[in-house]
Amino acid sequence: MLQTFFMRRKLLLVAGGLALAMLAAACGGGDEDAPSGGQGGTSGEPIRIGTSLPLTGDFSEPGKAAEQGYKVWEKLLNDGDGLLGRPVEIVVRDDASQQNLAVTDYTNLISQERVDLLLGTFSSLLNLPASAVAERNQMVYVCPACGAPEIFERGFEFYFFSQQATADNQGNLYAEYVTGLPDDERPKTAAYVTQDDPFTAPVIGGLQEKLEAAGIETVFSEIYPPDTRNFDTIANSIASRKPDLVAQGSIFEDGVGLVRSFIKAGFSPSSFFQTTAPSLGEQYAEGVGAENTEGVFFAISWDENLETPVNAEFVETHREMFGGDPAEDAADAFASAQVLQAAVEAVGDIEDQEALADYLHENEVETILGTLQWDEAGRPQSEFLLAQWQGDGFEIVRPEEIATSEEIVHPKPEWGR
Amino acid sequence: MEQLVQTIALGLLVGGILALAASGLTLIFGVMDVVNVAHGALLILAAFLTWTVWREADLDPLLTVVLTTPVMFAVGGVLYFAALRRLRGTSPSMTVILTFAIAIVIEGVMGFVWGNTSHAVTPEYFTKSFRVGGLFFPKGQVFGALLAIAMLAILYVFLTRTWLGRAIRAASENPQAAQLTGINIAMVAGLAFAIGVATTGAGGSIISVLFTFAPGSHVQWISRLLGIIVLGGMGSLPGAVIGALLLGTAESLASVYISIRWATAVPFIVIFAVLLLRPQGIMGTRLREDVA
Repeated sequence: MLQTFFMRRKLLLVAGGLALAMLAAACGGGDEDAPSGGQGGTSGEPIRIGTSLPLTGDFSEPGKAAEQGYKVWEKLLNDGDGLLGRPVEIVVRDDASQQNLAVTDYTNLISQERVDLLLGTFSSLLNLPASAVAERNQMVYVCPACGAPEIFERGFEFYFFSQQATADNQGNLYAEYVTGLPDDERPKTAAYVTQDDPFTAPVIGGLQEKLEAAGIETVFSEIYPPDTRNFDTIANSIASRKPDLVAQGSIFEDGVGLVRSFIKAGFSPSSFFQTTAPSLGEQYAEGVGAENTEGVFFAISWDENLETPVNAEFVETHREMFGGDPAEDAADAFASAQVLQAAVEAVGDIEDQEALADYLHENEVETILGTLQWDEAGRPQSEFLLAQWQGDGFEIVRPEEIATSEEIVHPKPEWGR
Repeated sequence: MEQLVQTIALGLLVGGILALAASGLTLIFGVMDVVNVAHGALLILAAFLTWTVWREADLDPLLTVVLTTPVMFAVGGVLYFAALRRLRGTSPSMTVILTFAIAIVIEGVMGFVWGNTSHAVTPEYFTKSFRVGGLFFPKGQVFGALLAIAMLAILYVFLTRTWLGRAIRAASENPQAAQLTGINIAMVAGLAFAIGVATTGAGGSIISVLFTFAPGSHVQWISRLLGIIVLGGMGSLPGAVIGALLLGTAESLASVYISIRWATAVPFIVIFAVLLLRPQGIMGTRLREDVA
């Protein structure tokens, strides 16, 4: 009897621990607010737009930012004239960063919730299977972060990626800038190193191809596993080959880690490009040391100072609703919703999904990221923005017509001086 | 040749720090049969505490060990008396579930307090190196490794030269006999757990200078640390040191002479190989139940 009592206590303890753990996980999740529809000049039943986002799990940070982007769009529309005069309601499901849950969510949104329209989820990993559900149901699927090249190889008709370009073209403007430098300033040798990731690897691969074609010799090219923590030996191997240019396909910690290791090894390339990590502002500056950010290049889809239509309103409404500056991921999600909105307004109907898809295949759409257009597979046909750290923050330096700074820092100041 | 020396040196420096981080884990397993999956989360917690002290008081992060060590000791004591004590006598697999839950709770708390973003502690020397000929020795790693060696030496002297230390070792080697000589096994187990957790104080402070960290980073640390103590022999302190140095250099050599792609896989190949030849680990003792 006593033994069973103790056994039960132990079981209770384990169960309690698990419950606490789940509570902690749940606390991180987003809440599904009731939509704020019905004000402004809208009337009738709301148009319901379904999406599944990684609000918990590995991608919870971008997932939550994307939810904010969608909610800002919902509010702006409902405070204004709505969509086709009707209010909009975004129905959000949490896929916990799991592929199978994303599939379940979209299936459920289409067949049970019977939503009118769909918006995509976050990351190539989740959009890959989720978009197949939309395609089977012949519903337009615009996604904010899904640029891995292989996604577009499936011949889908209803799939659209609403950033400027696919991953392999993310470094285009940087390649153009570097190869356009006068001979005496132009890098002669380059090192490429990237995390083994479906997004970063094609960015660096695409860049390498372009720079090699322009005659810049490759002296180092390696892929490291995602759990690499210590970059001292990698930095040492690269430093021993003394490349003029280094391009790294980094997510965040690896980007910070390589810069730190380069400085420790006493190496400083004259031109340095990284994916994603430098775009994380203060976190990046804190990680590598504020004095070491100057001159670092990266590609980016959006900036809060861009003078694109609605961008100022987006930033302001985001600050009002969530009390902080929007993340790039929030802006990308907002742009996805804008793309869908443009198609619906042009077609004047939400029933004919084929007409919506046809419209997007044939027309340009203005978004806060700039003008977007797509090929027959839904590949965006514009260019990412090229940004560079200058002073305390970063500036857009290319394309020239929307650059926030006319100057480009080259060569990069030496690290550790 | 220079490349080889440099590579081994960098591997050993990291290995020394891994040794300190793994020492507490192996101590806790040795005395209590508890596989403390929360060890990585406690390391990151100590890193966050270091970050706060460094930010607020501008104290050198490596000197904060005088604060983080006692704080982590107290955290360990609280965890033991609030949770782990109740699992005494159950199988180690049960402790995995409990400490895993603790790890997730700590992760959630850290996210709540410090936010789910990446943090870094960057004292003036964090990107500086000592240079000897063509070789470089990053200052952060050198100071960290020296601190780790000092902490390990203190731990070793405590375990071998003091009555309490001997009691802990006695409780780990033969609990029944230890009890017969008047050692209060429950208290000793609690103390061993608290000391094991206290080592994360210094470990976390060092890690905060060498790497960026976020609440979720603990997962990568615990997998590596478990690998080290399995390699060295579960429960053996010298084993943890040897295992950590081996792993550090294997990773470093693999990334230069095989391929970076293999750098994180090679240490595990080393572990497989060692375990095939010596299932009890390098310094582990074979127990009767292992043979049966």
